[in-house]
Amino acid sequence: MASDGAVPGYGLSAPVSRRKMLGGLTLLPLVAVSSAVPTASADPGDSATAADAADTSYLYLSPHQAAVLDAATRRLIPGPGDDPGVTSPGAHEANVVRYIDVMLGAFSFSPPRVHAGGPWSNRAGGSVDFMANFVPLDRAQNYAWQQRIANLRSQYTTGIALLDQLAGGDFTTESKSKQNSILATGQAVSFTQVLFGHAIEGMYSVPEYGGNANLVGWQGIAWPGDIEPRGYTDAEVEAPQGDTLAQSGIIGMLVQGGWAHAIAKMGGKAGVNIGR
Amino acid sequence: MAMELAEAGWDVVIFEMGPNYYSNIEGQGPFPTVFSNDELKSQYRYFEQPDPLAYPRTFRQTASQNAANTYVGDVNDLPNQVGGAFPHSDVKVTRMWDIDFKGLSLLGPVPGADMADWPFEYSELAPYYDEIETLIGVQGDVASIPAFVQRHQPQQRPYPMPPGAQMRSSTLLAAGAKRLGLHPFYFPMAANSVEYNGSPACNNCGFCSGYGCPISAKPGNLIMLRRALRTGRTQLRPQTTVTQVNYTGRRATGVSFIDAAGNAGGESSDIVVLSCSAVLSPRLALLSNLPDPYARIGKRIMFQNFYDGFAIFLNQRVHAYRGRSCTQVVFDFNDPDFPGARVFARLAGLPYIRAGLCELGGSQNPIAEGKFYQEILGLIPGVQFFGRAFKDLMQASLLRDRLAGVDCFATDMPYLTNNVTLDPTIKDLNGQPAPRVTYKIGKFERASQDFFIPLLSTMCGASGAQLYAAVPQSTANSIGGTAPPTGLHTMGGMQMGVNPATSVVDGNGRMHQMDNVFCSDGSVFATSGGSNPTNTIMAVALRTARGLTGRRSPLPAAAFAQPG
Repeated sequence: MASDGAVPGYGLSAPVSRRKMLGGLTLLPLVAVSSAVPTASADPGDSATAADAADTSYLYLSPHQAAVLDAATRRLIPGPGDDPGVTSPGAHEANVVRYIDVMLGAFSFSPPRVHAGGPWSNRAGGSVDFMANFVPLDRAQNYAWQQRIANLRSQYTTGIALLDQLAGGDFTTESKSKQNSILATGQAVSFTQVLFGHAIEGMYSVPEYGGNANLVGWQGIAWPGDIEPRGYTDAEVEAPQGDTLAQSGIIGMLVQGGWAHAIAKMGGKAGVNIGR
Repeated sequence: MAMELAEAGWDVVIFEMGPNYYSNIEGQGPFPTVFSNDELKSQYRYFEQPDPLAYPRTFRQTASQNAANTYVGDVNDLPNQVGGAFPHSDVKVTRMWDIDFKGLSLLGPVPGADMADWPFEYSELAPYYDEIETLIGVQGDVASIPAFVQRHQPQQRPYPMPPGAQMRSSTLLAAGAKRLGLHPFYFPMAANSVEYNGSPACNNCGFCSGYGCPISAKPGNLIMLRRALRTGRTQLRPQTTVTQVNYTGRRATGVSFIDAAGNAGGESSDIVVLSCSAVLSPRLALLSNLPDPYARIGKRIMFQNFYDGFAIFLNQRVHAYRGRSCTQVVFDFNDPDFPGARVFARLAGLPYIRAGLCELGGSQNPIAEGKFYQEILGLIPGVQFFGRAFKDLMQASLLRDRLAGVDCFATDMPYLTNNVTLDPTIKDLNGQPAPRVTYKIGKFERASQDFFIPLLSTMCGASGAQLYAAVPQSTANSIGGTAPPTGLHTMGGMQMGVNPATSVVDGNGRMHQMDNVFCSDGSVFATSGGSNPTNTIMAVALRTARGLTGRRSPLPAAAFAQPG
């Protein structure tokens, strides 16, 4: 906590004169400004534009570990070329491995790259990306995240080694179908679930965390992302937006019983209105 | 509380265990902040709540459960930072009903439950609701409140602001509810629809429920905190955890704390007010070993039994990510006289059943959506839980852009077996025992769930959605094993009541066993109600504060005179 305690503007122990000076500037994110300490490490904005699997300058992962995670996350969230018929960007294009590496190496930065700042980025009308200025961790947060990341590092080291072992040495050289079955069944499933959760985070979080490169995660799902300070107009809030889905593939399965099945497993009541 | 005390001339020190994410609290105009439209930090990285690795809680369903199966982690943790739990919410400000305050007298006892009346009734709290709603700024339309709701919670004063833009998802569900003869209305909420007292109008960013506001359009209790600080008589100490209330006999002498740097300290005081929320206030009382001759501290924890409703549109996008998380509400299921409910109750051997308020039109953001698919894909036979199917679902966005969701907050009975105690083994980073929550829904909640879940599902279907459903959150959460209760509506543990043998604090919020220890948060609730508790927490806190400062009308003595 010693280092965090000295950050001006964080908590009400800041000098009165400073508060008065800044108090009149509406919406100036004082905390974010005061913690905008330049670091020697790679800026997340830079990494976000360098979605390149050949980039091997990782904080924590070895090149081979990164390659295993790249191969595995291509199976979890496939992009063009990973699975037949997939056209939108996947985990590889979003640089999910970078997201995971920044998470595991969060304490290489000061402040640690755990909580992006605010009140907004420069993507929706803001002139400055305040999200790039990470918020210092307090004593309890620091204690918890040191512990959490140490645990995650161990899970990743063990999990990657397990994938290699189940592939007979090198996961990356296995066929896609064998990779699928390693990830979906047996010993590796609990690691797959952890990795999939983080892959989802890396796809769809704000890019300041190192993933969602070039915002491809959001573009693939028509998600506008962070929207302050612009917001939405009242008309945008209220507007109808017709868009009919083809009932094929997984959607068709849900309509034809999959939905009712999943809800029943959750102890609920489900229904389908089709053809009305 | 701090506002009222400081403005009455008292010196106040506020201890807040969490950080301060605001600047300019004691200035004028908006409250600059590091809250942002960031799903990851707010929902998955404990930015807005105590990190469970630093401040773990434990959970078990019954006291007889094998200790090895105790869950350790987040158990309905409320956000902890300057501004309290309020910044996380989409600030819906409903009122509790007459039958919530006088449930025992008006509806009778419930088998197995420790049903009790509050020491005061709705009519006595109504002026405080009015005052709070003006103070924090509420949008809504009193004329839209249905007659049956007005009968249970009469209110006349117009809300200070008109309703804002109506979300498409909420409008569709409200239309479906009307088709069934239900009574949707504009959801009152403390988000600005126009500029109010120097804070801007909401610009519909959609990161509302679960997020601190980046633009101060829902300043809520920061308004009271500002007024307290501007007296010059209030000190705010963030990142400072009170570890114990010190006392001699019936008098507290002050508190011990651990400061932001981890150093122990202390403060003396004439009065101590516990406002740590339903789980943590009783925990602090237990850690302090405050007198408890009838073993009532920590008893009767209530969470409300949440149901989730789903209306999924395959023919349109309902973009619930735009707006204030939901803008319409249905209160019909909160009524024990809902058609058919009495008969169903009698067949179940209960005097009555109730669910609660339904919020119409919520959804979720993409990380939550993705993790939901990760879970449900595994439930569908023959489908791999990742890969192409996952991508297709994210693109189709059944559970985000096409979802109009419903949250129903069903009334929780108070049970003596649902409680907070100190965990015998798990400790927090300061070495103090973690709060152990023992909680299980009972016959009343199960019967209410059995009756209202199909109705909720039908209501979702009436909206025209192609796929619809309703599930009890407790069951849905427990797919992966023992799951702690969720919902963030936490009440009880320091129950307010007239009888010292069956409650912890009196009608003035003062502990029966202490002369100068008060409690002013959700822990004092005698019943849970079936709606958002925040407005009632604030109204009761203001009433308690007015009693302390002698500025209450009628005077506090009246509360003592209430018949037992």
